[in-house]
Amino acid sequence: MIVLGSTSEVAQAFVEKALQEGEKYEKIYLFTSSRETTERFARHIDVKFLQQSEVIELDLMKEIDYTRFENVSSNLLFCATGYLGDGTEEGLYDNKNTERIININYSKLVPVMNYFAQKFESRRSGTIIGLSSVAGDRGRQSNFIYGSAKAAFTAYLSGLRNYLFDKKVHVLTIKPGFMETKMTEGLPLNPKLTAKPKQAAAVIYNAYKKQKNVAYVLPIWGIIMMIIRNIPEFIFKKLKL
Amino acid sequence: MKPNFIQKVTNWGNFPVVEKEMKSEDSFKKIKEFVLNHNEVIARGNGRCYGDASLGEHIFSTKKLNKFISFDRLNGIIECESGVLLSDVLEITVQQGYFLYVTPGTKFISVGGAIASDVHGKNHHSEGCFSEYVIEFKLMTENGEIITCSRESNAEKFWATVGGMGLTGIILTAKFKLKNIDSAYIRQESIKAENLDEIFRLFDESESWTYTVAWIDCLQKGKNIGRSILMRGEHAFQHELPQSMANSPLRLKKKFQPTVPFYFPGFVLNALTVKIFNLLYYKKQSKKEVKSFIDYETYFYPLDFVNDWNKIYGKSGFIQYQMVIPKESGKEGMKKILETIANSGNGSFLAVLKLFGKDNPQAYNSFPMEGYTLALDFKVNSKLKKLVEQLDNIVQEFGGRIYLTKDSMSKSSLTNYLKNIQSPKFVSLQHKRIINNN
Repeated sequence: MIVLGSTSEVAQAFVEKALQEGEKYEKIYLFTSSRETTERFARHIDVKFLQQSEVIELDLMKEIDYTRFENVSSNLLFCATGYLGDGTEEGLYDNKNTERIININYSKLVPVMNYFAQKFESRRSGTIIGLSSVAGDRGRQSNFIYGSAKAAFTAYLSGLRNYLFDKKVHVLTIKPGFMETKMTEGLPLNPKLTAKPKQAAAVIYNAYKKQKNVAYVLPIWGIIMMIIRNIPEFIFKKLKL
Repeated sequence: MKPNFIQKVTNWGNFPVVEKEMKSEDSFKKIKEFVLNHNEVIARGNGRCYGDASLGEHIFSTKKLNKFISFDRLNGIIECESGVLLSDVLEITVQQGYFLYVTPGTKFISVGGAIASDVHGKNHHSEGCFSEYVIEFKLMTENGEIITCSRESNAEKFWATVGGMGLTGIILTAKFKLKNIDSAYIRQESIKAENLDEIFRLFDESESWTYTVAWIDCLQKGKNIGRSILMRGEHAFQHELPQSMANSPLRLKKKFQPTVPFYFPGFVLNALTVKIFNLLYYKKQSKKEVKSFIDYETYFYPLDFVNDWNKIYGKSGFIQYQMVIPKESGKEGMKKILETIANSGNGSFLAVLKLFGKDNPQAYNSFPMEGYTLALDFKVNSKLKKLVEQLDNIVQEFGGRIYLTKDSMSKSSLTNYLKNIQSPKFVSLQHKRIINNN
């Protein structure tokens, strides 16, 4: 398994879920911008599941040396890379914030995804799982920079799925909705709309096994976003969402 | 949306509820920042203590310190971060033939909490407290320094921290020993006792058993006072087990786990329903003595079987009152306690009696002392404060003490037994309450 964004609690929960289900991997490649935290996770899965892994540094804000990834090979890619940044209220006119959000969620991430997608394509097998966001379903005033980057990522995954279909590679898009993670700690989230990483991991694993194309972590989000997507623009623009 | 770390926090008894800052970090560097930037910090694990011990002005939640570090499968030594739950430990170790030396009545507590409370189990008389098996732990002190504490290095801090209720710092990681088991099952004998005299005699007779505990019907009066069922147990060997269990002795089947969906309305638990429950529980076992094999989860953690069982007590919450009375005057003291409860009509749904063995004088902050300990649940209501006061007076009269992990309203002269913990940095609401009452 290849994991992009290995410090993500959802990614870690997914790895544990897969191992609990008895999946075996020759090696798990843990890509991360935070070596210390990820090494702790690597030791953790070694203790818990006797699972070997390798921690590989990847900082999307820096120049990427692809030669380091040459030996990385697997049948499953899990991408949980993401950066929420400041919402539009605080961060809209802060260019650094805007760039970082766009780079990490989309522009710098896609070439990395492509690098691995190519490997999958040549092997003619495997699954790519990408964590996008419900924020990408429609731009809303509160966080549309993040939302637009995720919308682009959703479109990318959709196109990739289409492109890789007859090459026997499956692409799964996950739209998590609110989640109880580092990214949202301290935010006033409605508990009924918020999933725990473990819960999310179980849903994602299930969707992966069933070869679904797009899945919301909590079904309620599918309904909420359907409503939001279908509000006519002349009304939508007046709403404070 | 800006993060706001002020939130409603409460522990397992749902009493008291406070609005305080609570944050969780997994990098030691950030934890250090948290400690240095705040006054009055207290660590909190899984919030399974009952009262106000892990509540404070600035709560550091260890729930993100949830990784294992190493497991020496040959010698049964495990090291993990402090937010790892005992249930996580058991998930890995039982299959490998190892069990916790000491476990409390729930497996959903954190390892850090087990050390800070120096928890005891049904085997205190034979195997002592959790600290007996702790090899070392890393502690973040008030200046953000990380020190390794063991019996050899920083021994003073080691002993102050075990049972020290988090007042010496934040426990980050811990290394501890596990015991060998041959199966995941317990050979159990449960024996009915008519009254207090009989149950005390049974405890004395059962001293050679590793685990002993009694469920007690605390609403009985007169000659029936102390009516109870003693449950004594040993880890079963594979060869003793019936065939159905012996085939895969270290693996338990997955069980259905129900969840209490909402807070029960206040009237559900009252003196009458508790009385009926206790009667049924006592009558369920028709024979005087029953021998059986049961899995470790049923034996050690019967309540963990129902998720969120604390909601049964309703929104006003409940307290757990656990005291110990020295052995010499144990019978007399217990009798007085049980009489007081029966007369108050404030029934306890779950009352557990246990005989503690000798304490470890080095672990001076730990709760257990040689004697009888009784743990009771009481729903919070207007009459409770007075009952607690009466019970406190009896415990004091007999020279006993109160378990801080479960305390939220006992008097300070019974709860101020901690030593060598003075630090203006690490302060819990409980500690403040105790000090201010003095």
